[in-house]
Amino acid sequence: MSTSATTLAPRPVKPKLVRTASLEANPYNPRRLFDKEPMDVLRESIKKVGILVPLTVYWSKTKGKHVILDGQRRWICAQALRLKEVPVNVVAEPSVVQNIVTMFQIHKLREDWELMPTALTLAILMKETKDKNERRLAEITGLDIAVVTRCKKLLSYPKNYQDMMLDPDPTKRVKADFFIELYAVRNDRAVNQMQWFSKNTFTRRMLEKYRDRKSGLKAVTDFRLMKQFINNARKAHKLPEESKRLREFVENDVLTLEHLNIPSADVSASARRLLNSTSKLYSDLEKIDAEEYFGEEELWKAFEKLRDLITTKLKEADRRVKQ
Amino acid sequence: MKLPKQRGAPIDGARMREWLDDFAGYRVNVTEGRIDRWIDQFGTKHRDLSARVLDSVEFVSRSRVATAFRQGLRCIPGWHSRAAKRKGKWVFVPFTASAGESGDTMCHEFRIANGMGNRKFDNLFKYKSDLPDERLGPKDTVIFIDDFAGTGDQAIDHWERVLSELLPQQPTTYLVLLMANVGARRKISRNTEMIVLADTELRDSDNIFHVGCTHFSIADKKHLLKLCRRAKQDEPRGYGNSGLLLVFSHRCPNNSIPILHESNRRWEGLFRRSA
Repeated sequence: MSTSATTLAPRPVKPKLVRTASLEANPYNPRRLFDKEPMDVLRESIKKVGILVPLTVYWSKTKGKHVILDGQRRWICAQALRLKEVPVNVVAEPSVVQNIVTMFQIHKLREDWELMPTALTLAILMKETKDKNERRLAEITGLDIAVVTRCKKLLSYPKNYQDMMLDPDPTKRVKADFFIELYAVRNDRAVNQMQWFSKNTFTRRMLEKYRDRKSGLKAVTDFRLMKQFINNARKAHKLPEESKRLREFVENDVLTLEHLNIPSADVSASARRLLNSTSKLYSDLEKIDAEEYFGEEELWKAFEKLRDLITTKLKEADRRVKQ
Repeated sequence: MKLPKQRGAPIDGARMREWLDDFAGYRVNVTEGRIDRWIDQFGTKHRDLSARVLDSVEFVSRSRVATAFRQGLRCIPGWHSRAAKRKGKWVFVPFTASAGESGDTMCHEFRIANGMGNRKFDNLFKYKSDLPDERLGPKDTVIFIDDFAGTGDQAIDHWERVLSELLPQQPTTYLVLLMANVGARRKISRNTEMIVLADTELRDSDNIFHVGCTHFSIADKKHLLKLCRRAKQDEPRGYGNSGLLLVFSHRCPNNSIPILHESNRRWEGLFRRSA
C-alpha cells in the first residue's frame, strides 16, 4: 500500500467562524502542557491583532462537535481572552491513520516522550497501512528511522514486559533502553538455537539481575558486552562452550558477565590497543589548525575516508549515528 | 487511622490477640514474637507509644478489599455482567504494571470480588499496552484498578505522558481505588479525564505527624519521627510526607511511616514490603 505524509494530509472544505466554546481539543493531540512564556506572547499578539491564521478543525460525527486538528494554543488563548468566535478552516474528518500521523508530527516537537506509547501507536499505524518497512514508516511519521527501529524492537516483547515500561511509578518503570539493549542478545540466532534457551525466562532473569544489581550488571549497555562475548565465541567456533557458560550465568546470580568471556575467543586485548591508538589519533587531530593544513588535500581525503568508515562501523555496531 | 487505646492501657495477652487477629493474612506472617521484637525497638520508656501505634494501624484485609471492589463496580453506571446488557466495550486494566505489584494483585482481587473469575470474562481484562489496539471510543469504558493514591502526582503525570495517548478517542475512564487521600482524589479529577472512585478517603488527620492528628501528643510525634529517621533517613514521614498508618493485606504502602515496613540494619519493620 502506498502511503505518504502528503496523501495523508486532511483536505480543506470551507472557512468559517465558529463559537469558541463549541470547539473541542484534538484527542489525538497528547500535548496537554504548553510552556507559559510562548503562550503569553501569543495571547498578547491575538489581543492586538486577533487570530490571523484560522484554526484547522473537523466535524466529529460521533461527538457532534468541531474538533481542533491544528491551533490548540490559539484556541486556549482565545478562551483566555474571552473571544466569542474564532476563524476556522473545516476539513474532512481524518481517518485513524491521519490522526496517528498528526500525533507523530506533534511527537517530533517533544524530546521527552516515553518510547513505549509511541511504539504502540506505531503498531496501529503498521496494522492500518499493512506496511512494516522502517524507512517508509519513518517517512510517514516524520520519526527518525532509528526511533522506528527501536519502537519495533519494543513491540517484539510480550505484553507483560511492554506494560513494565508503562508503570506510573518512575522507580518501578523499566526503561525502554533496557529492552532495546537486551534485544540483540535475546534475538541472537545462535543463542536462540541453544537447547536450554527460552526467550521469556532469559528476559525475566536479566530483568531480575538488572533490577537487583546482581551479577555485576550495572548499566543496560552491559548487554552489548554480553553480545560481544557471544559473537567472539561464534567466530572462534566455541558456541557449545558459550552456551554452557550463558546458561550458568542466567541461573546463577553470583557469576558476573566476565564468565561469558572465553579467554581464547577474547578480543578485549585488541580492543584496548585500538582504544589507545584512537586516543592518540584523537589528540593529534584536535591539535590540527584547519587553516594551516588547508592545502593538504591527501590528508583531508584520508579524514573523509576515516569518517565514512567510522560511520559504517558505528552503524554495524547498532550505535545511533547523528545525520 | 483507628482510635488507639488509652495511654497506659496494659500490653497484655488480650491486646496482643487483638493485634494478631487484626493483622492476620499479611503477606509476611505477623507473629507474637515479631510484634514483641518490634515493640522492643521503641525502648522501655516508649512501649506504650509503640502499642498505641499498633492500635491505630488501619489494616485492610482481603475481605474488606473484596467489599470495596464490589461497591466500586456497583457505582459505575452501565455495567452488567451480561455482555448483551452492557453499552459499548468495557475493559479492566491494572493501573500499575510491574509483575506482582499492587495493580496486578488488585486487578485479580477485583475480578474475584465481582464474580468475574470465569474464563468468559478473560477478554475484559487487558494489559495497558493492549489499549491502543482496542480502539476505545466515547461510548466505551475503561476501568483502571489500583489500591491507593497518596498524592495523586504520579497518576496525573502518567495520564499526561502515557494514558491520554493510549486512549486518544476518550472513552469514559475510571480509576477505582481502595483508598485515596482526599486531596489526591480531587487533584486527579481536576487534572485528568479519570473519574476517581475511592472506597475510603483519607484526611489530614490520618497523617500521624499532622497537627490535625490528635491521637498522639507532640512529644509522641517527636519520638516517632526520631525512630522513623532511624528506619529511613531520607523519607521519615513516608513517601510524599503522607505519615500514614495504613497496611493492605497484600502490601504496606510506602506512604505509611517507615517504622511499619522498613527493614534494614537499624530497624526491623513489622509489615515488610517484600517476603
